[in-house]
Amino acid sequence: MTSMRFERNSQVSPALQTDDSAEPNLQELLAASARGNEQAFAKLYDLTSARVYGMVLRVVRDAAQASEVTQDIYLEIWRQSARFDSSKGAVLPWLLMIAHRRAVDRVRASQSTIVRDDKYALLNTERPFDSVSEQVQTSLEAQRVRKVLNDLTPAQREAVSLAYFGGYTHSEVSELLKIPLGTVKTRIRDGLIRMRDALGVAT
Amino acid sequence: MTDELNVLAGAYALDALDDAERAIFEEHLQTCDECAEEVRGMQLTAAELSHTTEVAPPPLLRGEVLASISRVRPLPPIVDNVIALHRARASRSVWQVMAAACALIAIMVSAWGYSQHRAANRASNASSTVTTLLQAPDLRATTTALETGSGTVVYSKAEHKVVLIGRNMPSPGNGKTYQLWMLPQAGSAAISAGVFRPNSAGNIELPVTGDLTDIGKMAISVEPSGGSSQPTPGTVQQLNL
Repeated sequence: MTSMRFERNSQVSPALQTDDSAEPNLQELLAASARGNEQAFAKLYDLTSARVYGMVLRVVRDAAQASEVTQDIYLEIWRQSARFDSSKGAVLPWLLMIAHRRAVDRVRASQSTIVRDDKYALLNTERPFDSVSEQVQTSLEAQRVRKVLNDLTPAQREAVSLAYFGGYTHSEVSELLKIPLGTVKTRIRDGLIRMRDALGVAT
Repeated sequence: MTDELNVLAGAYALDALDDAERAIFEEHLQTCDECAEEVRGMQLTAAELSHTTEVAPPPLLRGEVLASISRVRPLPPIVDNVIALHRARASRSVWQVMAAACALIAIMVSAWGYSQHRAANRASNASSTVTTLLQAPDLRATTTALETGSGTVVYSKAEHKVVLIGRNMPSPGNGKTYQLWMLPQAGSAAISAGVFRPNSAGNIELPVTGDLTDIGKMAISVEPSGGSSQPTPGTVQQLNL
């Protein structure tokens, strides 16, 4: 597993792919989990874990760490299951938000001991959404999101990707790209607004 | 909506703010509905990004997850008899707001200890530094790696307010103290901004009022207890503004 790299991994099983039509189901499963129903939680895991694990793996880059962080995330979801408020949003984005925060926390905590080769990361893993697309077995949704990402300006895409998939702070992105922090803030925000509108995300 | 803060919505939604910036922005979200709405849309957009990285987890992980949850009872729901402040915050988003509340409460509690004023004034003094900063149009936060740990300076030149947030700082040693300095751009003598000791976890939140107009950098030095009139050479670590 240690040699597994995101680009090479094509083990996405269609049965594990998550689409938004699962949402009503997710709410019921989470509510049942809050009452201690472990089987319901197992189903919730089956419906969401490919999205969570894949994202965590992309951020932390190491399969063993990704498993560890994913386990922490689901334990936290289990603990907090009674406190999810469906009037404030859907289950899956909530779960992914918690997951991303945890993944980023992990990668930032370990950066003091492991020197990440930033230039290498920048040049080799963050850019090529187009070239990655044929290597990873993708869902229709993934193709749609990837297309929207590719429609951003290269500068916006780079800033958004370094932040979300790289786990870098905006100050670090500014340093990596040698551009002013204010420019990074604007690129990230403009990029997300463009993606939001293109994806038709409804709040 | 404050433009300076509003532009952080994107970075916030991607978890690209450091802890201090996040705490400040989350506080701002409590009062800016327009920002909160924008953040919500961006968080949903960020969640969509994970479609592109979908990968089945190792099969063994499922069993490990289920074994670990079977040993823990889910937390109870938040019920109506919780204090009003807590509920108001929890209703927006339990997750982000908890973190923000912790950071701000830490700052306020620390400010109580630091304040030399009478007890009756302490709460209002502490919260006023934080509140003033949160509303400052020229709010900035910069983080500098120290020899051990890090120092974040959250400041507003317009409001003459600074909060130093130190993390993972070692004890300065017996009979010694850290001292915070403002270093004028002109290179003239350092101006003391107070002495402090991090708590046992190495954390410190130190609110300071001072004119930063001509200040280029801040610095931390190690001094004998009570502090010195000028920083001791060889112990000085600079903090960027």
